[in-house]
Amino acid sequence: MKIDPELCIACEACLPYCPMAAISMKDDIATIDEDECVDCNVCLKSGVCPVDAFVFEPAPWPRSLRTTFSDPRTEHKETKIAGRGTEEMKTNEVTGRFHRGWVGMGCEFGRPGIGTRFRDVDKVAQVLAKHGVEFEAKNPVTFLMEDTKTGKIREDVLNEKVLSGIIECIYPIEKFEEIMNALKEVSKEIDTVFSCEVINRADPDGSYPLRKLMDKLGISYRINGKQNVGLGKPAADV
Amino acid sequence: MTHTLHRRGNAESLSEDYVILMIQAIGHNEEGHREKVKQFLRIALRHNAINIGSVSMGGMIDKAEEVIANVDKIGHAVFGNQEDVTAVLKELKEADLGLSVVVSGIYEKVDECLEKAGLKHHTGNFSLGVWGKTEKLPEEEVLEITTMCGHALIAPNLVKEMAKEIKAGTKTPENAAKLLAPQCACGVFNTSRAAKLLKAMADK
Repeated sequence: MKIDPELCIACEACLPYCPMAAISMKDDIATIDEDECVDCNVCLKSGVCPVDAFVFEPAPWPRSLRTTFSDPRTEHKETKIAGRGTEEMKTNEVTGRFHRGWVGMGCEFGRPGIGTRFRDVDKVAQVLAKHGVEFEAKNPVTFLMEDTKTGKIREDVLNEKVLSGIIECIYPIEKFEEIMNALKEVSKEIDTVFSCEVINRADPDGSYPLRKLMDKLGISYRINGKQNVGLGKPAADV
Repeated sequence: MTHTLHRRGNAESLSEDYVILMIQAIGHNEEGHREKVKQFLRIALRHNAINIGSVSMGGMIDKAEEVIANVDKIGHAVFGNQEDVTAVLKELKEADLGLSVVVSGIYEKVDECLEKAGLKHHTGNFSLGVWGKTEKLPEEEVLEITTMCGHALIAPNLVKEMAKEIKAGTKTPENAAKLLAPQCACGVFNTSRAAKLLKAMADK
């Protein structure tokens, strides 16, 4: 994203709208720090500029990733899903993606509101790969991996900054404690944050085995979350 | 897409914050999905939805018909109490539209709604919070508002600016919340809760 200096009237109205705080005043003109800008288009689409000074031109690879990962109104060509991730547990009763005895996990980098370079995503993905997780094939971050066995993300995208990017994976519930410990260690080495989530299929009695395990291990989770209520059809055997 | 999972706040505040979404499963039940999502949004509006939206249109409770007309693969609706959530779930069960339905909110309260509607949870999604360099995060009072847009499109500085304007008397909390809402591309922003949180920020 750029601001046309010939059009900008220095009203400063756009400054607070940037989720990355990448707009500042320089020589009485609003200017975007292009390295910090994630091309999310929030400034442009907010309509805040009274003189339409924002200029967006689709960027070539690899900068093009910034918009596809940062503007949820943009559909990923590979996954046909807008935003950063997949349908994950939202359609589990139909897709059968998360079976009993398994844990789904998502690490959403840059969220909330910090942004991330892919080099931080790469560090964590490689650690998870060493612990044998299975990365979700339809996830946009997985598409950026050179090898899903190692979790290594391709070199040419590592410096790209996005509003957020999600690693999505599954593993047997028996590995949960080991993976939580590994995640805790590698989280000390990154320069951003990630919101962590886990997914579990309920047992026939309505209980979540993973919830019991988290209680036993002293792993805290928020009081609020998401629940699929099983109305989708055709029902999968899951 | 975990855009309604990591909403922050205390139990009292979150007890006024629920999101119901309807989504098609790509490759499984795509036929006629748009009409079904439209039907869902109309049900939501009948039961006092605070906001509705879709990824393609954003959230525009003031332009509900426009949102409904243009909805595609997924529809969202925000509610402020268990009674409305229960009423929507009862209607969705009866309508038997065949698309997936997900409810976000405090687990225990959502489960109470499900039971009253004759439904059971199938799969759960739990937030383990924020990991890594958490010292970079904005203040908690700001996060409680910004995380109501799960795609992080609401800028922390804009929230602070709104609180300043409320304090200065140039905006009401409700007007400030309405100004923030369109930044959220999916329409999952809870304007009623945001107005309360903004007022609390301004009153400090």
